Amino acid sequence: MSVSAHEGRPRVLPLPRRGIRVNALYRRSAPWLLCLPALLLITPFLAACLYMLRFSVSADTGAIDGFSLQAYVELAQPYFLRSVWLTLKLAATSTMIVLVLAIPLAIMIVTTRSASWRRVLTVVVLLPMILNLLIQSYGWILLLGPAGAINTALTQLGIIERPLILLFNEKGVLLGLVQTSLPLAVFPLMSAMRVVSQEYLEAASGLGASQWRSFADITLPLLKPGLISAGSIVFAFNASAFAVPLLLGGRRVRMLGLAIRDMISPLFNWSGAAAGGMVLILIITLVLVFSTWLVSRSSVRGVS
Amino acid sequence: MGIDLSIASVSKKFGQFEALKGIDLDIEKGSFVCLLGPSGCGKTTLLRIIAGFEKASAGQLLLGGNDISRLPPHKRDFGMVFQSLALFPHMSVAENIAYGLKLRGLSKLKRDDRVAELLEVISLPAIADRPVSALSGGQRQRVAIARALAVQPRLFLLDEPLSALDAQLRDAMQIELRQLQQQFGVTTILVTHDQTEAMMLADKLVVMKEGEICQQGAPQDIYRQPANAFTAEFLGASNILDASASDQGQVQLSGVDTVFRTDAPAGTALKLSVRAESVVLDRAPHLSSGPLGEVEFIRNLGASTEILVRTGVSTVRVRLPSRDSILQDLRVGEQVALQFDAESCVVFRADAA
Repeated sequence: MSVSAHEGRPRVLPLPRRGIRVNALYRRSAPWLLCLPALLLITPFLAACLYMLRFSVSADTGAIDGFSLQAYVELAQPYFLRSVWLTLKLAATSTMIVLVLAIPLAIMIVTTRSASWRRVLTVVVLLPMILNLLIQSYGWILLLGPAGAINTALTQLGIIERPLILLFNEKGVLLGLVQTSLPLAVFPLMSAMRVVSQEYLEAASGLGASQWRSFADITLPLLKPGLISAGSIVFAFNASAFAVPLLLGGRRVRMLGLAIRDMISPLFNWSGAAAGGMVLILIITLVLVFSTWLVSRSSVRGVS
Repeated sequence: MGIDLSIASVSKKFGQFEALKGIDLDIEKGSFVCLLGPSGCGKTTLLRIIAGFEKASAGQLLLGGNDISRLPPHKRDFGMVFQSLALFPHMSVAENIAYGLKLRGLSKLKRDDRVAELLEVISLPAIADRPVSALSGGQRQRVAIARALAVQPRLFLLDEPLSALDAQLRDAMQIELRQLQQQFGVTTILVTHDQTEAMMLADKLVVMKEGEICQQGAPQDIYRQPANAFTAEFLGASNILDASASDQGQVQLSGVDTVFRTDAPAGTALKLSVRAESVVLDRAPHLSSGPLGEVEFIRNLGASTEILVRTGVSTVRVRLPSRDSILQDLRVGEQVALQFDAESCVVFRADAA
């Protein structure tokens, strides 16, 4: 059927068919093409994970040979389970502390009216991320170590006779974890604060809510998705911490990262270390899945 | 009825900028007051000072005789509807409306009763459990109003709440808002830049310009007797014509005497405010005493027809019913005379503020 011009309709020029097909193909594949560099980059990492998974079920402790769950069974020992428990405890505690510290920081930065002050605050919070973890940990040692600034000052003032043990225990590691992961929580919370418009808080105060009340009733619930994502980033970061417990724990606080390294370095138990690594990945993955589920549940009510 | 809210020489500075320059305003109990003005005139700042979201740089607010200037917002006892409505997105409709009641310590049972009652008033009885994101624009509007009125506040404050709605819905909401306000009898202050809205809602109209009150009074009075060119123009007068005073105390337009008299000395610059619908065309100009002009433009707007007539330096807008026989065969370029209906014109000095 053809439409001729004298029927009064404007003639529509048909698009070349090949052009349309190329266009559709292009549109479907463009996202994948754009992802390609990133996919290439993470491929070696994924391969390493698979390699580790394979190693963890190896029958030989020093090479990949045969299949056995022996490595996992051997993990069920008090020293490793204590390490798992310690990791969970320190990661969870540090996450809680970091969130409590990060909320007021994020609110302060977002509500600062002067743009230059806001920039100064942002840089101050960001600074630790620019510095290497090792340097940050050495910083704490210089400050809190047995021969550090605080102990020296207190000794010379005659307040104490022997240096206080401020580091090389769980509290020291906790301090390090909190400090190094704080910026990771502040930035997601800053962007989450955009949802909390000033008018909501004004509306609440107009209805009779004090500042604390509107913080609890309005700000916190609206920040929930941001809190959950900030919390899971911090938890994952701290559960897999290595440098901080190594330097500030003085090998006495054996978080999972250290426990795994000990299996390799003095013991040459490669399959055990691989199995330990898989347990660590599993713990973190479970926490991330759980928090994603929490976010999606809370966004059902219309908070995105 | 007595004075409910008394605003006494309230001023506000933001740095160097004077947003409010000594506002004095008395608001009667149960009345509906509209603060009307262009953006930047300070109307919203004044409302925010009444609410306590901004602190006045000077001056006093007396609510029922008590000074509330130093009270924080949550102790001032008002209900407010924001421009963005600011419904809490993490709460259902019922939770939004009940929030103020919850803060006042009402039991769950009493809260539920009150919410049901209010939803009935805003004629949306079935939406209590919906999230606010599932509501239409008009529904959100009503819920925001219900939330503000639920706590039975002393003052009901509205900051351009209808500006986001389309024209038809806005019209319906204006009527509803007025009815609700009368039903609750609550002292109400509404900020708007829409003169029709202000005219329709207000018991008392307060026209503001650059941080000052230009004129206040009943809307019809201001409409009929604007005090200056600004108010006249803002209230929709379509013609503000340059005029002058003659030796005989007559108002002259383009050198021709008009029917208006003035006590201003000869030569004083005057303004003549005329509504487009109050000008009469005379198609026999040689017999007329009014100022002459030439038809410049004609457009039919359906029910009415608008004609622009050029006279001397100014162009006069004339609006006539389209059925008017005088329009027959009227052409661009035709010479006409203009007659003004003395009742509906206002003369003021060009420098009046």
